Amino acid sequence: MLRIALKDLLARKRRLVTTSVAIALGIAFLTGTQLLSGILSDSIKSLVGDTYDGIDAVVRSSKVQEVGFGNEIRTPVPEGLAGQVAEVGGVRASSGIVETITAQLVGKDGKIVGSSFGPPTIVYNWVEDPQLRFGTLREGTGPKSDGEIVLDFGSAKDGGYKIGDTVTVAGQTQTEQFKLVGLTGLGKDGKDSGGAKSLQFTTPVAQRIGQIPGEFSYIVAAADEGLSQDELAKAISAALPGEQVVTGERFSTENQESISQFVDILGTFVSVFGYIAIFVACFIIYNTFSIIVAQRTRETALLRAVGARRRQVLAATMLEAVVIGLVSSVLGLILGAFLGTGLAKAFSSSFSVKGGIPPITAGTVILAFVIGVGVTVLSAVFPAWRSTKVPPIAALSEVSVDRSDVSRSRLVWGIVMLALGGVLMALGLTDTGPNPIGEVGASALLILVAVALVLGPLIAAPMSRVLAIPFAAGGRITGRLAGENAARNPKRTAATAAALTIGVTLVTVIAILAASLKASIDNTITNSLKADLVVNTTTFAIGTGIPANIADQVATTPGVKIASPVRFGPVRLTDAAGKKYAKDNPEKKGPGAGLSGTADTAPSGEDSFMLGVDPATFFEVLDLGTLDGSPKDMAAGTFATTRKTAEERGWKLGDKVPMFFARSGEQELELKVIAQRDIGQSSLYLPLTTFEQVVPPGFNIDNAIYVVADSQADIPSVQKSLDALVKDLPTIKVQDLQEYAQSQAGPLNTIVLVIYGLLALAIIIALVGIANTLGLSILERTKELGLLRAVGMTKKQLRRSIRQEAAIVAVFGTLLGLVIGIAFSVALSIVITADNPDIFSYQLPIPTLVAITVIGALAGVLAAILPARRAARLNPLTAISSV
Amino acid sequence: MSTSEQTTFAAAGAVDAVKVYGEGDTEVRALDGVTATFERGKFTAIMGPSGSGKSTLMHCLAGLDRLSTGRVFVGDTYLDDLSEAQLTELRRDKIGFVFQAFNLIPTLSALENVTLPMDLAGRKPDQEWLDQVIDTVGLRPRLTHRPSELSGGQQQRVAVARALASQPEIVFADEPTGNLDSRSGGELLQFMRHAVSDLGQTIVMVTHDPTAAAYADRVVFLADGRIVSEMTEPTAARVLDLMKQLGD
Ligand SMILES: Nc1ncnc2c1ncn2[C@@H]1O[C@H](COP(=O)(O)OP(=O)(O)O)[C@@H](O)[C@H]1O
Ligand SMILES: [Mg+2]
Repeated sequence: MLRIALKDLLARKRRLVTTSVAIALGIAFLTGTQLLSGILSDSIKSLVGDTYDGIDAVVRSSKVQEVGFGNEIRTPVPEGLAGQVAEVGGVRASSGIVETITAQLVGKDGKIVGSSFGPPTIVYNWVEDPQLRFGTLREGTGPKSDGEIVLDFGSAKDGGYKIGDTVTVAGQTQTEQFKLVGLTGLGKDGKDSGGAKSLQFTTPVAQRIGQIPGEFSYIVAAADEGLSQDELAKAISAALPGEQVVTGERFSTENQESISQFVDILGTFVSVFGYIAIFVACFIIYNTFSIIVAQRTRETALLRAVGARRRQVLAATMLEAVVIGLVSSVLGLILGAFLGTGLAKAFSSSFSVKGGIPPITAGTVILAFVIGVGVTVLSAVFPAWRSTKVPPIAALSEVSVDRSDVSRSRLVWGIVMLALGGVLMALGLTDTGPNPIGEVGASALLILVAVALVLGPLIAAPMSRVLAIPFAAGGRITGRLAGENAARNPKRTAATAAALTIGVTLVTVIAILAASLKASIDNTITNSLKADLVVNTTTFAIGTGIPANIADQVATTPGVKIASPVRFGPVRLTDAAGKKYAKDNPEKKGPGAGLSGTADTAPSGEDSFMLGVDPATFFEVLDLGTLDGSPKDMAAGTFATTRKTAEERGWKLGDKVPMFFARSGEQELELKVIAQRDIGQSSLYLPLTTFEQVVPPGFNIDNAIYVVADSQADIPSVQKSLDALVKDLPTIKVQDLQEYAQSQAGPLNTIVLVIYGLLALAIIIALVGIANTLGLSILERTKELGLLRAVGMTKKQLRRSIRQEAAIVAVFGTLLGLVIGIAFSVALSIVITADNPDIFSYQLPIPTLVAITVIGALAGVLAAILPARRAARLNPLTAISSV
Repeated sequence: MSTSEQTTFAAAGAVDAVKVYGEGDTEVRALDGVTATFERGKFTAIMGPSGSGKSTLMHCLAGLDRLSTGRVFVGDTYLDDLSEAQLTELRRDKIGFVFQAFNLIPTLSALENVTLPMDLAGRKPDQEWLDQVIDTVGLRPRLTHRPSELSGGQQQRVAVARALASQPEIVFADEPTGNLDSRSGGELLQFMRHAVSDLGQTIVMVTHDPTAAAYADRVVFLADGRIVSEMTEPTAARVLDLMKQLGD
């Protein structure tokens, strides 16, 4: 019996491969991204390790502020500390280090080097001791005077600079020019390039650009010969008990971890799409096995008639599933290895990637096999179990095709599943159930399965006929045949289409959410922002902003009535709600080894962001509805918020709310103003007088300046005067409200494009599924196709008919996806609106949805090309005479 | 009918037709120099033992297969000169087919099956002729049925109607009654006879049943890929006699 199954399998190698490809693609994606993360992490680790190799101890402040995405900023230490460290016994060499993210490198073309989302640009001071210096000098010299700069060679190349060139640096206070005198690199010989762009200046210049005059970010030290890192750290902390001292090893690990964390988050995000792809592949495996089992009904019955037991029939089919699973896993692993190393190569332009054998771990291999075999076997179980129900008598019947009818119980089941999905969705979205994300996910799954597999077959036949109408217009028989062929096996059509439905559903939801968010941003800006112009930062990198002197110059420009600057910074809320949050979401990192002296001193709380505003003008420029309290009362030590936040956190006017800032410690601010409307950005507004005292270096800079023109002023000419003010500042633009809205939505576009790209995988797999089903159906219809060719259907007509059939199935799947996607998006929007009643505006991007449908249809046609060709190649004579 | 067709005596024919399958030891000469013509407006039967080349001859005449050497023609067209695509069009426009089984597209209604070749050509059927054909084979009440809802005999009648509907040069039928009981078979043969006598059609039918052959105007006997005999105005008894003689 097993031998029969194996033989059967080998005889159908093509089917084996096409079926495997669907799962293999998903596995390749998963293992490929895992490998990529592995390669990147390894490279980063070795780069960081090399970089901090010579440092044995780091002395730093214990005051630290989280600034989002796992990044933290430590409060600087006074300059004088460097001298104290140098005097500690056991310190061979030491140096104060300036390390800030307060400047951008401007390339020869006038554009900022690197992207806002890429690795940061870091300002360093030049350290004389090569062992303690960041990077290795590979060319030229260090900066001898304040007018000189050293760059890492990668950034110099990207900016188009050579040694001797004049380099432009956009700092927070001004844009300056320096002479390039040296190039550094990472690694022992300075050959490698690493993510961060480094700008190195003399210490005073670095302190000025870094906004920490008289301070260092931290102090590094190297130990005397024979002294271990631990011993050195202990010696220093004994001498300077008020500071935090960590070993060089720990410092290096911390740095590695913060970068690896980012790589990991990215990897997790990307792998979600791999799992979606595999879910799609499940449908294909399920469908393929259903078809195979149906086509084999007679064979199975014959086996049963000659005495095969049910268990043997089941085992034979499951064996096939296991083999397909194994083939998929191996194929997927091989493809994944290529994908991972290929992607890593693509990254190697921005930093050195270690070559050699990709770090395929046992985990990766196990994942590939567990998913490959597991998913295939699970997907095949139901069809296989059905095959055991074939009675021996079926051997005598003519029918070899699954024609079992779509029944009333199917309808009932479908509706039950839909209802259950709806309830779960409601629970999840309204946050009333125990695990909102799990509930939404499960409900999405249920609804998809209900619509695609249970209800889909009920509508597949009539829908196919309707969709065939344009193809059959004017009595064209190819279109009519295409429609009938899509309709003749509703279950098969529905399952095939379902694979596509999943991808289209997700694309639709993303498209609608993106359009709605964009519309919401537009609305918010037009409804709330009473400014005529905005002086805005065009990069999103932390630490970039508008030089301090610009705001005053804007305010005094003729025609400007109000210039209201806004700053943006981190805060930790240590109120009751914040403490509760911290308790529910405990931080993972502990004190660990290698740390001595004072441990981190931040109190527990919830990290958030605040805006620094000028109370006198801000509430005039930004309409936040009725205000409780008066902005006039917003002296130093006060703040404003929105009603939504106040209600959520239980704050009342006049409350003293505790907040923690690394720079100034924990302090209580008095709530003086509660605004009616919440426009979704940060809802903590601090007067600039307070803001300036509490933010970490790098954040004390205007992010935007809202400008209101005099009522009789000509706005374009005001804009011209403002343009002139910022013409030398490459990161600053003067925008009207429309441009401002567009620039605010900019990052959204990028993210949406990336998600579309990742979802393409699920759609490609769905296409493999369409091709696969079509191939099997054609096999089943060999005789019919031969007959059609005999009575005069040309090859061209035959190919067209099959392409049209695929298009019908694809459009069916796409339309289902659109409908489900729109339903999901409506559900989501209800919840989002409940949370953000003032800003969210639901939007159906009709052109995008039409484009999705057209692409779906075209994709179907694409999938049909090969099966159609194969069908046209059939010799009518052999087709007719084949039994 | 065009003038050239009127002046042509034969509806189809073969000249020195040779069809060889395989090579060397496995070589089979399915047709071994067949020369024959099939008269316009006549019902011709081809008979012979199994494996004698009947189907091969028919397939080659109908443009479904190509000869190794020799020529075949339908109307005024030599098939050997035609491209694959031209052959397809010729089958669609000039030739009707009835196979032993599986003649119909299961997803199309009886009427759609009948008009299929014309629909493929994008031509409107001649309604008057179509009505005549449908009535001749007695299909009127079954036109909207799917093949699965028809009996075997009815299915073959639909096939005959389809073969005749486009007013082809010639209709080829390969054992059309082979899968039918004798009553339905008799009916079908009656319809075919009728189509020739009353509607002026030309039919060539392969059969090994003397009773079926008796409906034809002429019988051609094949053996080992050659024409070994022929008979006009056949009766079942005479055909059977001749078969016995040839069998010896
Ligand atoms: N495709 C083929 N390949 C090889 N031999 C064939 C093929 N088709 C027919 N033959 C051989 O050609 C001979 C004639 O076959 P056929 O025309 O089908 O005979 P009939 O229809 O009279 O029974 C037989 O010996 C048969 O085995
Ligand atoms: Mg035959």
